[in-house]
Amino acid sequence: MDHDQSVHYLEGLLGRTLRIHTTDTRMFVGLFKCTDADRNIILANSFEYRMPTTSAVQAAADKESWGEGSEAKSATIKVNMTHRLIGLIVIPGRHITKIELE
Amino acid sequence: MLPNTEVRVPRPRMAQSAPRDITAEFTKAASKLNTGQLVKDETFTLFEAVGALEIMDSKMDSGYIAPGENLAQALEDDYDVRRPLTPEEVVGLMDQLLCHEVAWHKGHPLSQTLFTSIYLDKLLWPVPRTMEDARFDRVPSDSPLVSLVLRAYCLALVKACDLVHVRVATEYYYEEEDFVSQLYNRNLLSAFSISQFHHLLDQAVTWVSEQTDIDQKLKDAIHCRLVFRHEFLSALDQDIEVLETRSTANFSSCITQLQPLTETVALGKPVPEAFSLKIQRKLASTVPPRPMVNVNSNDALAHLKRLCQDAIDMQQMLDYTGPSNFKTAVWTLLSRKPQPSIYIRCLLQALIVSNMTILGVVPVKELLSDELAELVLPANILLEANTDEVEVPSDPRFQIAQKMDGFMKRFAQPFVDTVRCACLNRCRIRRTVCHTLIDWDNLQMEAEEIDLELRTLSGEPPLQFQGGEPTWSFPLSSWAYHQKLSQFRLILQMGFELSIYSPEELPGMYWYLSHICSTHLGHIDRIRTFTVAARKRDLMSTGDRSGNSSQKASAFHRSFHALERLTTHIIAVDAFAIALHALYVVLSRHKVLPFASSPQAYSTDRLRYEIRMKPFIPITLPELVPYDEYQREAALEGDSDTTILERASKAIAEARKAWEATLANGAFIDDPSGPSQPPPSAIEEDWKRDVKNTMRACIGTSLAIEAVKKALSATSSHGGKPLNLEVIVPEVGSKSRWHDWWVVPQVTEKKSKA
Repeated sequence: MDHDQSVHYLEGLLGRTLRIHTTDTRMFVGLFKCTDADRNIILANSFEYRMPTTSAVQAAADKESWGEGSEAKSATIKVNMTHRLIGLIVIPGRHITKIELE
Repeated sequence: MLPNTEVRVPRPRMAQSAPRDITAEFTKAASKLNTGQLVKDETFTLFEAVGALEIMDSKMDSGYIAPGENLAQALEDDYDVRRPLTPEEVVGLMDQLLCHEVAWHKGHPLSQTLFTSIYLDKLLWPVPRTMEDARFDRVPSDSPLVSLVLRAYCLALVKACDLVHVRVATEYYYEEEDFVSQLYNRNLLSAFSISQFHHLLDQAVTWVSEQTDIDQKLKDAIHCRLVFRHEFLSALDQDIEVLETRSTANFSSCITQLQPLTETVALGKPVPEAFSLKIQRKLASTVPPRPMVNVNSNDALAHLKRLCQDAIDMQQMLDYTGPSNFKTAVWTLLSRKPQPSIYIRCLLQALIVSNMTILGVVPVKELLSDELAELVLPANILLEANTDEVEVPSDPRFQIAQKMDGFMKRFAQPFVDTVRCACLNRCRIRRTVCHTLIDWDNLQMEAEEIDLELRTLSGEPPLQFQGGEPTWSFPLSSWAYHQKLSQFRLILQMGFELSIYSPEELPGMYWYLSHICSTHLGHIDRIRTFTVAARKRDLMSTGDRSGNSSQKASAFHRSFHALERLTTHIIAVDAFAIALHALYVVLSRHKVLPFASSPQAYSTDRLRYEIRMKPFIPITLPELVPYDEYQREAALEGDSDTTILERASKAIAEARKAWEATLANGAFIDDPSGPSQPPPSAIEEDWKRDVKNTMRACIGTSLAIEAVKKALSATSSHGGKPLNLEVIVPEVGSKSRWHDWWVVPQVTEKKSKA
């Protein structure tokens, strides 16, 4: 890809929803607004997603076993990632581990 | 299709088609960009970009967890909400929560106040669907002090916040100035009814009273806190229904409970570890992390007590007894220091006007019509004509009624807004009036058009002054002009209250105030002249003394009385302004008046005048005084110091008399026909205190004038030495500033250097 093609490619992504993973294992989902040569990325209307904490997993497991009795021991439990709205953000390129397009 | 009422919240889309990893492509493409080159959305501006929160920056990113910090610990506090608490700790926690609640009332966001409480966080997240769900933990604590008493207290507190939030958010307020309405995607238990909370509180009260192993003092302390919650909730729940209930019972008993509550604060043992900023990491928030706000118990309790007292005193203005009384009561109550809290101010807004009705009973049009009858149109055909009685469209009375109806529709809202505006915070009041002044300038012109049309319909005979042109009364535009002049005065006086003017501007601003007052007095004289003429005509035409004419007589009497009161008040303001103007001119001439700007400053008198006159420049009437004329007049060019000080002495003596007369006139116009009701005491007392403070300021001015006179005669006998005076301009709020609207300088003899 040369320079113009790169710009063209990135411009094609503007306004689309990106999922950006960061070094601290969080994920940010928002509308792609802007980037630069250092791969700093600005997302609008973004949500922050975080892996559930061990205690939340534990709590879900407890609930499962409460409801189902003894047979639920081997069942895999499903715990949603916790998320919250945080709005307009800029993610420095050096903290980005993965970029996904929805 | 979704019905229109359905609100579509942008849901986080997790369950969509699998996302595609574009890390490599993206990285490669980005690396080809030149340094400093941006790829951005056309509509996205760099200005917006500045507002973006930087992820992984501890100062900006509320979700940032420092390397090495244990993830679980960073998000969840180790604090165990099920642990048993001592009664002392329960009292301590209740008081800490109360302080946070007040901090929120005072305008701090929930994220820095109540939402730092781990207990509240557990109650409110995940969002409870039933009251049963709203608890600290899935498995309730074994200690009823926690699972019953503290829980009931917390739930009732949250519900109280809900009621406050709903009231404030539906009225006019300034986000972040007065109040932060952000709930961070939490819900303040708005779905649950008050009775459920009352029920829980009752259970808690009963349980506490049955305990034998808790010290009586602590039992009482917990008891009064629970009862306070109960009563506060009822009081807030009453809301605008107070118009029907007219009950102060709940707020009164809140105050009663606050007494023992205050006395037992010392018994409580705070539990600081039950509050954490880490909760901010979980709140939906578009702002950087911010520190916890701490309000101390004394301030918090004083604030609550004031809130309750203001709510009680508010009752005294709920009976409508005419426009001028209504306006005085609203203004006086809202001018209390400190200003009533945002909840009270919002509640008042709703009471003052909702659905175009004043205080729940008087249509806004009636208020306007009463106001016009009081000031410009007593017993006048313009207000009495109505289309119900005369149905022939060709009849002038029918046409008058139609025209007046149009006028009412146009003017009712702006008029009631001038009253309601007092509910804003003090800075906003002044700002808003500066804006509405321009509207009123246009309204006056519109009113003039209507006046012209009405004049031909009513066949009003003109008045002829010696050798002059025939003149008509122009009642509606006269009234609008009166409104505008009152707003001019308010803008200037609020300028003093808000410390907008620097000391060197004070001579000029008091000159301008007196200039506006004398214009206003002239205008009122004009109104009076026409009312007198109308009365004369009326007496001539109705020879007989029927019941109708006695009604007319009392209408005219009311109007003359109102004009007289107004005149006395404006004379008082005028005379005081003249005296201060004169005093400041002498101080400024002798260069003993402190200066805010340095000699090298860019500002000049002309520029300062321009900026102070900014709100008045677009106004057509009264015309702006040109700078040169202003300067001549304001500096009293050509008058000697002695002449000026003589004028000051005379003016201040007149001011004192006029303020005494104003005080004697009282805050309110008594309705002689109405039942003799007890006077609205607390508000009236506030009003009296205000006038008395003004009189104190008058006395202070007299003293200052005398001091300057003395220093001046001492200097003249010693030949041309500078005045041996020290002048201090007291700040708003300081003890020697008797009244916010009257900046009286403290003039003292300089101590001789020993």
